[in-house]
Order: sequence, then C-alpha cells, then structure tokens
Amino acid sequence: MVKTKIEGYAKIIRPQNFDEIMLLAERARGQSIKMINATAVGGGVAEILTRVVPLFNELGIKTKWEVIKGSGEFFGVTKAFHNALHGSKTEITEQMMNIFKETSEANLAEMSFDEDVVIIHDPQPAGLIAAKEKSKAKWVWRCHIDTSHPQPEAWNFIKSFVEKYDASIFSTPWFAKELPIPQYFIYPAIDPLAEKNRELSSGEIDAVMRKYKIDRSRPILTQVSRFDYLKDPLGVIETYKLVKKQRDCQLVMAGGGASDDPEGDQVLHKVQEAAKGDPDIHILLLPPFADLEINALQRASTIILQKSLREGFGLTVTEALWKGKPVVAGAVGGITLQVIHNFTGMLVHSIEGAAYQVRYLLNNPQFAKKMGEYGREHVREKFLITRKLRNYLLLLISLKNQGKDLIEL
Amino acid sequence: MRAKTPFQFYTSSQLVEITGRKAAKLKTFLDIIKEIEASSIFYHVHHAFREHQFAPGMYTNDFAHWVGEEISKDALAERLANINIKDYTDIASLREKIVETIESYLKEDPESGNLEAKHNFYFCKSVAVVMKTKYLVWDQEEFCSILGKVGLRSLFFHFFEARLRLGRKTNDFSDWIKFNFKKEKLARQIEELDPYLYTMDQLRDQIINLVRGKKDSLWERLLKWLKPR
Repeated sequence: MVKTKIEGYAKIIRPQNFDEIMLLAERARGQSIKMINATAVGGGVAEILTRVVPLFNELGIKTKWEVIKGSGEFFGVTKAFHNALHGSKTEITEQMMNIFKETSEANLAEMSFDEDVVIIHDPQPAGLIAAKEKSKAKWVWRCHIDTSHPQPEAWNFIKSFVEKYDASIFSTPWFAKELPIPQYFIYPAIDPLAEKNRELSSGEIDAVMRKYKIDRSRPILTQVSRFDYLKDPLGVIETYKLVKKQRDCQLVMAGGGASDDPEGDQVLHKVQEAAKGDPDIHILLLPPFADLEINALQRASTIILQKSLREGFGLTVTEALWKGKPVVAGAVGGITLQVIHNFTGMLVHSIEGAAYQVRYLLNNPQFAKKMGEYGREHVREKFLITRKLRNYLLLLISLKNQGKDLIEL
Repeated sequence: MRAKTPFQFYTSSQLVEITGRKAAKLKTFLDIIKEIEASSIFYHVHHAFREHQFAPGMYTNDFAHWVGEEISKDALAERLANINIKDYTDIASLREKIVETIESYLKEDPESGNLEAKHNFYFCKSVAVVMKTKYLVWDQEEFCSILGKVGLRSLFFHFFEARLRLGRKTNDFSDWIKFNFKKEKLARQIEELDPYLYTMDQLRDQIINLVRGKKDSLWERLLKWLKPR
C-alpha cells in the first residue's frame, strides 16, 4: 500500500487547517477502524482507501482494509443493484437477493470484527452487518453512489441491512434516505500527492502523449472514466463529432475496468464501434495503476469532459479541477457540488449543450483559464483528502458522543 | 498591559448531519423552519461563512439561496439575505425573524407558497467538536499575533459560534477586551464589524487592526476594495 507522509500536506493546505487535523487526531488516537469494500483495485472507492488507510495509521488510528470475496455471479448481482440504486431500470429477482445473502454469509465466516469502528463501503458488503450483534464495534455504512432516485425494490432490499447500522454517510444531502439512523454528509476527496494528481514535468507529460500518439499541438478533449453506460461514453463521442464539425480537435477516452464491473467489456466494444474510422479518437483501455498516464492525459488536455448521466460524486471531475482544467460535465449527482456553473466549470444537460460549451471554451481560452484557477481553489477548500481525514476523525469522536450536537473536548 | 485572565483560543470543527427533513415548497419550508432543531438554523445561516473562503456566493445564507435559486422568488431571497445574524444574540429570535419574513411575504404573494421548487431544500445540522488550541495569550499584542496565526475555524468559533450557539450574547474577543482592559469602545467596534462585508481572512485583519489601533491607509483601503471578496 502507498505510503505518503502526512507532513507532505502541510504545504498544500492552509497550515492552520493542518494543525487542526493533528489536534483532532490526538483526541481520536487509540481507536481502531476496519474498512471493507468490494474491490482492491479500480474505481474511486479502492483508490481513496489506498490513500486514506496508511494516513490513518500514521495518525495513530489503527486501520485495516479488507475486501470481500465473491463469484462473477455475485458481482453481476451487485452491479445490477448498483444500477438499480442509481435509478436505471434493472430487474431485481429473489434469486439475486439470495445470491447476495449467501455471499455475505460466506464472507462473514472468514472475517472477524474486533475493531472499535467498522466502515462498510457501498452495497456489496452491506450484508456483513449480520455480525454486529457479536461485535463491540460501531458500524457505519458509507454510501458512495447516487441514491436520489433508486428503484424501490433494490433500495428496500439494501435498506433492510442499512437500518441496522449505527450511522451512515452520504456524499451529498440529496442522496440521503429516510432512515432511523444518523446520516452524515462527507464529501469524497482526492489525494494531491498521489501519482494521479501530483505535479508532473513537461517531459513526463510528453512521454505519455508520445506513447499514445496524441498530438499536443491540437486541442484535446478528454473523458477519463470506466466504460460504463452511466458515464455516457457514446454521448461523449457524439459531443466530439458535433464540435469537430466546427473546430479541429482530438478526443481521448481513457478508462480501466474494475473487478466488480462485468458490464465494462460490452460498453467498451460499443464505444470502439462508434469511434471506428476516426484517427483522432483515442480509446485507451488502461490497466489498474496507470495513474501516471491518467495524470498526464488530464494535464495535457485542453478541456475535460465528464458527461455522466448519473454520478455518485465524480472524482475524475475533482482531479481535473485540481489540475486547473476547464471542465464540461453533466449536471448530475455530486458533480453539481464541484462544478459551479460558469464559475468553476460548465454544467450541461445534453450532448448539444456539451458541444456548445466545449466550443465556447475553445474560443475563449482566457475565460477557460480563469475558470480552471477557481476550480483548483474550490477543490483545495473542499475536496482534498485532508478534509476527508478531518471528517472521519470527527466521525470517530462523534460516534463516542452520539446524540450530542456540541462536543467539548 | 497584562490581562487579569488570559485569552484561550479554541477551535471548532463540524461534522454535518442530514436531518432527513426536506422541503419542495415554500409553505413546507416555513413549517420546517418553525420546528427544526436550533442547530439546523445555526448551520444554514452560517454555512456560507465557513464554506466560501475564496469567493462568497450571491446569498449570505442557505435559506435565501434556495428561495432565490430554486423557487425564483428574488424579493423574498433578498429580504432573507438581508437578515444580519449580528442583530441577534440567540437562535430563537433569529428563527422568529426568518419565520416572520417568510410569513409576511406569503401574505403579499400567497400563491408562491405552493410553487414547486426545482430542487428540494435539505435541512442539515452540524455536530461541533470544540477543542482548546495550544494558544493562550495575556496581552493585546500577543492576542493580535496569535489571531493572525490560528485557523479560520478558531475565528469562526469565537466570533460566531460563541455568540449564538453557546448563547454568550457577544463575541469572545469583545468580551475579553472589555473585561480585562476596560476598552468598551474597542469591544463595541469589534462586535459591530459586519461579517457580510468581508471574507474570513479580511475579518481577521479588521479585528487585528482595530486592536492595534491601526487605520488602513488610503492605498490599503483601495487595494482591499479592489481585491475580490
């Protein structure tokens, strides 16, 4: 697991904010946490855990990270739940619910929960709550997905587990549900010192662009995301085609797969079909740990697109904003918290809208630059890993003082 | 001059809790404001101060923002934005003013009460964790020097949270200066600073300047005026 020294962040955020994190850590020290999710690599959750877990340990909060095991069939089921919780029409059958329960039980047989706090990420491992009765831990369900308009059958099934937790965390207030447990609101975050976000030299950027044969002398539009229908990759190609009618540009679509997403291959195939015959469309299927490549692609881009149709939070948007890039993104989910229209980026509702905003930004580079600068400051204040650490430390303190609005330490 | 009692700097960090209550119409919005916990009112009127440090939004509180952006009732949004938290020393009277403002608007424009908002208003509240910092000061110069160093959450705690959430009626800085140095005019000047005119950094500078008895030069005032808030 990656080791980053906590002191490295003192130069990135306000020093006073850094001191306050250390102060909170002193008060929470000695507690232990277990983080559990469904995949060790690929996707935003695994990525943030990779960074957060070592930092917690460095702060004196003993933190372990475990990944549940499951068959392809199980991950097919959880992908269906994922889509249904995002609001897509997906059939949820009793057999699927049984597969979910059986896999939860099989994992329970191999796991122990001796920590003070157990944090379960997303629906896949939610069934582990069955172990709560036998453990002394406080159990927290961390929801990373957009549950604002879920399919009722899927939500009711997941809810039957979630309501047994001690607390829940959502990425925005509008994802929260009617639940009998406290619901906290914590933004996801990116790590400015991670390979994916650190500053790069122009030599490093050039090397990646040469590797993928992308021409740096012409405008580059880029979308970095999994090949997933909810990220609207086909809509991105349509957007590019509309822009290309009036402005020369290239399109880069870069993404990897995740072991809990069996639908990826099918989507990638359709995207390749749609891009066929255009040498200026670069479809890059990147392996896990291609963080340097992603960083370089984002930094070399003229405009970053994130034309999602549904989105939990959209960490790729956060990454682009942190790099000072102008962003054109779908006005969905957590993207609307990051992109303040016309100020830190452009929010769009259609392919045509996206194409128009891309053309506008290409024609107004000074405005695009200023927007990028505001976007970076917005991320510095709200969406860096230091803020997340602070919130988790507050959560640990709050769980020990449940029911109090004012905790004086 | 050494104070009789030192000034202890505290800091306050907030974890935001979603109350689960939401409004899609102005009437429901009003009903919830009447009965929601005080910590929710506190959160929504102060949120902008805590969150927008590099560029303030158009509205000074979340209630005004929702009315303006989501139900497009600009006159009511402006009236709500004009409620100055500094005029209130407890949440009950602040809540009463918000309620009265909305009720009086609804009398003028009764149909607005049932308009569907573009997006719901989600009521949140915050859990505050208050901690002592390592800074303890005994005189005014030391006070200024440390105030320049502490985090903005510390400033927020002593200037806003102490007044309304802890019910201390005034900000902690004015209280300490008045009690220890008998400088009632200075205490009043600090209390009267209008937070809506400054970013938190600028507010901090203003307090330090007042305590040091420093007036901005014409040039400094011009620069501040030009600097984006």
